[in-house]
Amino acid sequence: MDLFLQRLFDGLTNGSAYALIAVALVLIFKATTLVNFAQGEQAMLGAFIVLQLWNWGVPMWIAVLAGMLISGILAAGLERTFIRRFDPADHLPLVIITLGLFLVLNAVAAIVWRYDPLAFPQLFPHGSAITIGNARLSWYSIFAFGSCILVLLLLHVLLNRTKIGLSFRAVSSNLESSRLCGIKVGPTLQFGWALAAAAGTFGASIYAANPVLQIEPSIMLRALIFSITAAALGGLDNLWGALLGGLTIGFIQSVLVQYIPFIPNEMTLTATVVVLLIVLTLRPSGFLGTKTVERV
Amino acid sequence: MASRFTFTKGTPQYRNYKTIVWALIIAIFLLIGFAFVDVGSISIGSNKYNLSLIRLNKAIAYGIAILGLQVVIGYTGQIALGQSFFFGMGAYIAAWLVADHSWPFLLTLLVVVPTCFLVGMLCGLPALRIKGLYLALLTFGLAALFPTLVKLDSLYEYTGGANGKLTGYKFKAPSWLPLDEIAQGLQAIPLLGSFFGDGPLSNREESRLWKYILFAIVAGICFWLIRNLIKSRPGRAMRAVRDNETSAAVSGINLAATKTISFGIASALGGIGGAIYVAEVGIASPDDFSSLVAIYLIVGLVVGGVGTLEGAIVGGLVYALVPDWASSTQSIAFVPERWLQGPTGSLILGIMLILLTLFMPGGIVNAFKRGTTKVIQIKDPSRLKTK
Repeated sequence: MDLFLQRLFDGLTNGSAYALIAVALVLIFKATTLVNFAQGEQAMLGAFIVLQLWNWGVPMWIAVLAGMLISGILAAGLERTFIRRFDPADHLPLVIITLGLFLVLNAVAAIVWRYDPLAFPQLFPHGSAITIGNARLSWYSIFAFGSCILVLLLLHVLLNRTKIGLSFRAVSSNLESSRLCGIKVGPTLQFGWALAAAAGTFGASIYAANPVLQIEPSIMLRALIFSITAAALGGLDNLWGALLGGLTIGFIQSVLVQYIPFIPNEMTLTATVVVLLIVLTLRPSGFLGTKTVERV
Repeated sequence: MASRFTFTKGTPQYRNYKTIVWALIIAIFLLIGFAFVDVGSISIGSNKYNLSLIRLNKAIAYGIAILGLQVVIGYTGQIALGQSFFFGMGAYIAAWLVADHSWPFLLTLLVVVPTCFLVGMLCGLPALRIKGLYLALLTFGLAALFPTLVKLDSLYEYTGGANGKLTGYKFKAPSWLPLDEIAQGLQAIPLLGSFFGDGPLSNREESRLWKYILFAIVAGICFWLIRNLIKSRPGRAMRAVRDNETSAAVSGINLAATKTISFGIASALGGIGGAIYVAEVGIASPDDFSSLVAIYLIVGLVVGGVGTLEGAIVGGLVYALVPDWASSTQSIAFVPERWLQGPTGSLILGIMLILLTLFMPGGIVNAFKRGTTKVIQIKDPSRLKTK
């Protein structure tokens, strides 16, 4: 029982981190129906900026906010330079551009900060909050999950209660009509990219603040696959779906894989890809996503 | 546009022109082989650049894998990113058959091709369900998955785990092939002879040269088959699917079959590339088939030119040479040394990928073709003028 609880708690911890990156993916998918393969690397770079600011003596939470701001501005610039000039319906050049960004951002981070793992600021208090038997729920897990919910609530308010949120939703539901209504489509999409990058940076900071992890340039390579699966599982265009998907992937990793005897321990990645395969084959719109009718 | 030379298809002049071009290509190919069989590297400034046949043999392997991407992305328009999965699968199957069952290397292709083809078709099934990026997501997942899959303890017996699988196979040039005599002959040419090394070929050089020729023949067969495929009915179906799915379906093309078969062919070519790669390197190790490799293969596709067969050759060369040269560049004037250490190859390939997509969407091959039409023009009377 203790073991089961512990695994449940672990799943919650990892799931929250995946959900935060998945939220970033969903934001960009909503805006441009594009899956940004560079999202994980953008988030990693943002987390490194946070680390650098912290090393220069900035208080850690201000460093996180500044890092989110900087990566948001960077992402807005990337969107303006590389993404906007392409036709959003033609996926291939856009995918290739994001793969190129993936390589470049990863290499830049590795050149500037090297491959040595570095200690990330501990954003949350140490120790365990609740102990049931031998199972410990650490403060980190609680705060990670809490900040995930907080981000989603803030985004929900931003998208549903503000003017820019309204135009963002209009653009994501129908690009042509919103242009006819006088919405400035370009800046709105740019805003979506900035928002996604800020959310991603926050997610990567939370992920790297895990007491058992250190930050290094390839930290997001694996996490990206999990987050992509989480986003697809929840429905690529639903923000709360990202949370649901993230937690599901977290629990699949920590609970399901551990309890099914014929699946070896290192199979978490395989299990995730198999889940992705099943979801895409049987229910491409995921748990909460909008069903697309676009089939020939 | 007035060209210096104009040829019309179907005339004897055109046939002569083609024969001469092909003879030149083969001659240059062989000369490069003999020239670089013993030279390890060239030096520019204080940097040493590797140029040996090992690189070129790897380029052939990557070129075949990129040819597969040309089929599925370039001609069928399905975004599949997981070529490293099939590249690795071909490599491991070949290594396993050679090492544990002592098959000759080329015979393993008989197993590699059908296996990769079938697995590829299976993985292509979700692409039928829905359009767009879902195949990209899934194949990206497959690419990330491969290294962990071959490191599994339960497969240790077949894959050798994290250490990789040694093939222990030696290529031996057949005795009827006068490689040594040709090398001696080339060395005897006045002035130019020194480019071709001196003295008879050692056993190692001979086997390397034989591999180079053998791999090129395999690659040539692959390119020839794919060129015929593209020009034939199924190839036209693929291009129709790429250009407009709805109209392709309306004209009676079976979308599902076309997509899955093209994905299967791409995977089979990936497998052949992988088998050749492992034949060159002699060991299949998990990290040679990471998701980074999948992205590099995409770089090769884009740099050469999406939807051009020749682009696969250019792409293979770029992939085999650029990262290697970048990492062996230790000093350039005005660039701080710190920026030359670390993954500079990855940085350069990423920048190439972005810049080419922005400014030269047709890749190097199309730019080159545009350049050559100013000198040599080929008219095809069977084609209608559409302008």
